Amino acid sequence: MPAGQPLLTAERLGKRYGSVVALDDVSFTIADGITGILGENGAGKSTAIKIFMGLLKPTAGKATVLGEDASESLTVRGRLGYMPEHDCLPSQVSAAEFLTHMAEVSGLPPTTARTRAADTLRHTGLFEERYRAIGGYSTGMKQRVKLGQALVHDPSFVFLDEPTAGLDPLGREEMLDLVRKTHRDFGISVLFSSHLMADVERTCDRIIVLQGGRLVHSGEVEQFTKETETVFIEVDTNREALVAALERRGVLVTIDGAGLTLEGPDESVYDLVRDALVEVEAPLRRMGPRRRALTELFERGAA
Amino acid sequence: MSQQGTVFDIGYQGYTGKREGRGRARRAVFKDGFRAALGFGRGGRAKILPWFFIGLLCAIGSIMALVAGAAERLGGPGTAAKANLPSHVDFYGAASIILFVFAALVAPELLCRDRKEGTIHLYLVRPLTGSDYLAARWLAFLVVMVGAAWLPQWILFLGLAAGDPLPLAYVQKHWLDVPRFLLAGVAMAVYATTLALLTASFTVRRAYAAVFLVGLFTITAPFTAGLASEIKTQAGPWISMFNLTNIPVHVNDVIFGEFSMVTADAPARLFPAWGRVGWYLLWTLVPGAVLWWRYRRLTP
Repeated sequence: MPAGQPLLTAERLGKRYGSVVALDDVSFTIADGITGILGENGAGKSTAIKIFMGLLKPTAGKATVLGEDASESLTVRGRLGYMPEHDCLPSQVSAAEFLTHMAEVSGLPPTTARTRAADTLRHTGLFEERYRAIGGYSTGMKQRVKLGQALVHDPSFVFLDEPTAGLDPLGREEMLDLVRKTHRDFGISVLFSSHLMADVERTCDRIIVLQGGRLVHSGEVEQFTKETETVFIEVDTNREALVAALERRGVLVTIDGAGLTLEGPDESVYDLVRDALVEVEAPLRRMGPRRRALTELFERGAA
Repeated sequence: MSQQGTVFDIGYQGYTGKREGRGRARRAVFKDGFRAALGFGRGGRAKILPWFFIGLLCAIGSIMALVAGAAERLGGPGTAAKANLPSHVDFYGAASIILFVFAALVAPELLCRDRKEGTIHLYLVRPLTGSDYLAARWLAFLVVMVGAAWLPQWILFLGLAAGDPLPLAYVQKHWLDVPRFLLAGVAMAVYATTLALLTASFTVRRAYAAVFLVGLFTITAPFTAGLASEIKTQAGPWISMFNLTNIPVHVNDVIFGEFSMVTADAPARLFPAWGRVGWYLLWTLVPGAVLWWRYRRLTP
């Protein structure tokens, strides 16, 4: 791939299963780096990944990966990695044996496959446990094996479908670290699918948001964060007066249970809150940044 | 003074070597299928079934050789043939049910487990099609079955030669049995492999596939044999043709040019050679086509 070229391209991509629309007129490009694909269950994330992997044919539009259509080119699949969301590991064999086999299935010669399997298990933190049967692994270790099999053949691009699913907070943190390491240290670009905004935000450079098969947002995570961040405040008294004072200053206020959710024109919203609190003499109980729920974002996107 | 070593972590290294693509992928799936069938790289329990059956088949071959050898030694040259002791032409007929039970119990390991555990999804995102995967698995089990069919025949051949007072003369006289049992073994293995894998393709539970196939072979054999002997009309040979364990044995008979002990009394022997071979091809090619059709467009 020439430098600067997008690694993945979706052009007016559509996929229908009978009357069910899984993807509808979706267009985006993905460049080098870690890109998050965010959406609720059924948003079309896995369908998009399967189309890029060449496992599904789109009913409309075109998807190319590394400059080729993966449904027509088996060769390009040797340069892709895929970590599925669901269980996919054999219980009887060891991680070392399994990764060696998967490296060979990806086209690597047997000797190289063995070396790379050991290296990959070391990088994913499973080196000490590599000769144990996978069936005896914990959920976190199994997720690492799944990631390992996606990386063992040194792909140019890897698809990670919900890699933090089923993990406890510590395991989730370690997995996100591994995803970051995959690009930072291994130089492999990543498409990271999740329904957890926090995971995507902490890991990715860019974000694609899907809802009901349609593209809602595509761009830099930083920009997305700015657009989706709000301020939550709670006061003991004078709430109505505070709302009026804030609205006079151009702050959009939503009453949210016992508190208020504020959307200011920019980061100066904190200064405006301070001034309004002083003006109406409202005793502040709590104030802090708060992220909108994903569903709320999607409602806004649809509106 | 001893020199101290230093360990450097050179970090992640990208792969810049040759990628062998689809050919390597097929060979890897074949190799894995072969190892899975024989329990290599798995725990001890995975080895019990395949090696028990291979041992059993070899034991049958050894016993046949020992009995024939003892007859030759005790009764003089030609005693085994005069006593009509079982030989190469009879082996597949005698051992067919064991070969089929072996196939029924072991073949599902190659297909069911990948679908049950979801590993098939990882194969299909590699440079490999559903047909490639299936062909590699089919070939892997075929090789195991061919080995299981040939090994006791070789033991029998070498045993008969060793038991003969003139071993070289025996080999010179009976060398034609070797290509015959090799070819008949392939016919037996192709049939058993295809039927066993077809059954395995319909379920993710190995036990269901195994029980169904064992039941099919063990029930149809006495049922069709009994019914065919009772019915004295032209339907008898046709019913006899539905004895699933005998279908490849009829091909064995055609290859050897004589009937084995198992098929000598079967009404199906009345069909001409081309009819029995055609019937075998029908029972191999149609299941093979259905099996291929099921995996051709497989997607996760």
